[in-house]
Amino acid sequence: MTLFGRRGSLRHARLQLVLAVAAVGVAVALPVVLVSVGGGVSAHELHDLENAGYQIVVSAPGLHGIADSHSLTERMLSISGVSAASPVLSAGIDTFGASGGPTAALAEGVIPAEFLPTLGPSENGLFPSPLPLGDPMDLVHFANGTYQGHATLDVIVSSPFAAAQNLETGQTLYLGPSANRSQAVGYTITGIFGVPPNLLGPIGAFAVVLPLSDLQVITGYGPAATAVVPDASDTIEVAVAGSVSADPSALSSVEAQIQRLVPYYGVSSLNQEATELQQASGVLTGFYLALSSVGLTIGLLFLALVLLRRVEADRRSIGIRRALGVPGRQIAGGIVAEGLFLAALGGVAGVVAGYLIVEAIATFATSTVQEAAQLAIFVPATLAAIVGGVLALSLLASAIATRAALRIEITEALR
Amino acid sequence: MSESRVRPPGIELAGVTRTYGERGPDEVRALRGIDLGIPPGTFVSVEGPSGCGKTTLLNLLALLDAPTSGEVRWDGRTVGTRSERERARLRLAGVGFIFQRFYLLPTLTARENVELPMRALRTARAERARRASELLAEVGLGGRERAYPHQLSGGEEQRVAVARALANRPGLLLADEPTGELDSTNALAILDLLERVRRDRDATLVLVTHNPAVAARARRHITMADGRITSDVAGA
Repeated sequence: MTLFGRRGSLRHARLQLVLAVAAVGVAVALPVVLVSVGGGVSAHELHDLENAGYQIVVSAPGLHGIADSHSLTERMLSISGVSAASPVLSAGIDTFGASGGPTAALAEGVIPAEFLPTLGPSENGLFPSPLPLGDPMDLVHFANGTYQGHATLDVIVSSPFAAAQNLETGQTLYLGPSANRSQAVGYTITGIFGVPPNLLGPIGAFAVVLPLSDLQVITGYGPAATAVVPDASDTIEVAVAGSVSADPSALSSVEAQIQRLVPYYGVSSLNQEATELQQASGVLTGFYLALSSVGLTIGLLFLALVLLRRVEADRRSIGIRRALGVPGRQIAGGIVAEGLFLAALGGVAGVVAGYLIVEAIATFATSTVQEAAQLAIFVPATLAAIVGGVLALSLLASAIATRAALRIEITEALR
Repeated sequence: MSESRVRPPGIELAGVTRTYGERGPDEVRALRGIDLGIPPGTFVSVEGPSGCGKTTLLNLLALLDAPTSGEVRWDGRTVGTRSERERARLRLAGVGFIFQRFYLLPTLTARENVELPMRALRTARAERARRASELLAEVGLGGRERAYPHQLSGGEEQRVAVARALANRPGLLLADEPTGELDSTNALAILDLLERVRRDRDATLVLVTHNPAVAARARRHITMADGRITSDVAGA
């Protein structure tokens, strides 16, 4: 079989070839886009996990998740190998300027002295050090299990929030649990912090950080501080000493001790989370490939049809070759070579198209989709595996055409 | 040209029938109990009206087709009912076939067409090229090696077909109406060429024709009608 058929049907044959290559190319481009973007996002998340400033996390989501977080933090700090333990309460609140508002923002309540040591490399330098929040250990407002002390009423705000609201250090920002300004309390802005780059979404862009006990009161039972406000946080991020971090068994031992302190809460190491993320990423990649198999099936079906059509068009040539005694395997070899050539061409075109699509999305799309596309990674081994898979499947398409070619009756073909 | 070649086989057909279609009213009995022996090196013509079974007989001799019943033997060995793979192997090495409509591959040059059977036999590239050039020169087409079939006249195309049939030095040459598409001048030239190459190679030549003038060139004349051999006469 020849690549361009008979002269009379040259244009028709070329069109078939172009369509076959295009069909395979489209079928390949889809998994290239999905796997590269999905893999990129997973790798980014994994990188963040591996570069977090803490190694163990205790979690119980919700406003009243982890009870007694101040005392739990103290007890965790007493465990050998723990270098910092930072309880974090994340809650949506309403903010009010001198006259405007309300504006929704994400509030993070932290123990200032414990918060900075749990920041990862990507967050280094984004926060003023030490945090200008008055009470480094958050023990004045919350002392001895009650809220009897005096709140510092200091807050730091994120740079996007400050820019949008024209906020500056020294101004007063009112924070409240609801859109009712009368429930809000005035806080002094003592600093501005940056937002880590490469965030997938806008979450955290409009954010404030304040002492944990203050946020507990705001999100507890209103501005009137009473002893019944729960001492809650949703996570406690635990940083360990370098020697423990590098020793998996020592890390497991610390993790086990923390779990014994809080048997009802989830305790996990970031290593474990990274492993789970990798597994989830693997499952997602499998899902993407399964999803893409629909397109691949259609593409290769089209390739099989084109090869069949070409066998039909070359029926006489095949008959002549067989009449001359050309062995079936040589005829099959020609068809398989053509199928592989078309599939390889389509595969390479698909990889290039997939790359260009991702680049276009990263350049011209907006918001989260664009951010995700910018994180895409093109792993040569993965791309080669996709093209290799297409080549292997093209053998199936070629086999169908080969079978048809070898079933041609020589005497019929020569009539 | 003197050269090593495949020795022509002694051919025998015993009780050969060839039937097409389902048993019943649509059944076509193309050959009905053919018994025939062709010694090596003879020149045989097969004549008869259209539809008498000449081409079917030639296809069976060329192992392009298998008999419905009976046996096709080469040198006493049954070959007609072997697998297509085996028949293709025997055909490639032992049979040169010349078709009425030439059947050159349109996308190959004259030389590539001649090289085709040698490529299938995995002859070395240099040897293929050398031999194809020699054969084309022998049939009077030296200098036309790079021409494509559409650039050749009918007579030239048939010469290329003859060269292709000789490529693997077959002992058995089969020609199905080789002059049917040619004018009288070219037809004579092709017949002269076939006679010469047969004589030079001492090959067996079976030539199917319905033209008595063409058949007259043969030493033995077989006439067919309605799927049967009606006469088998040795000529001068």
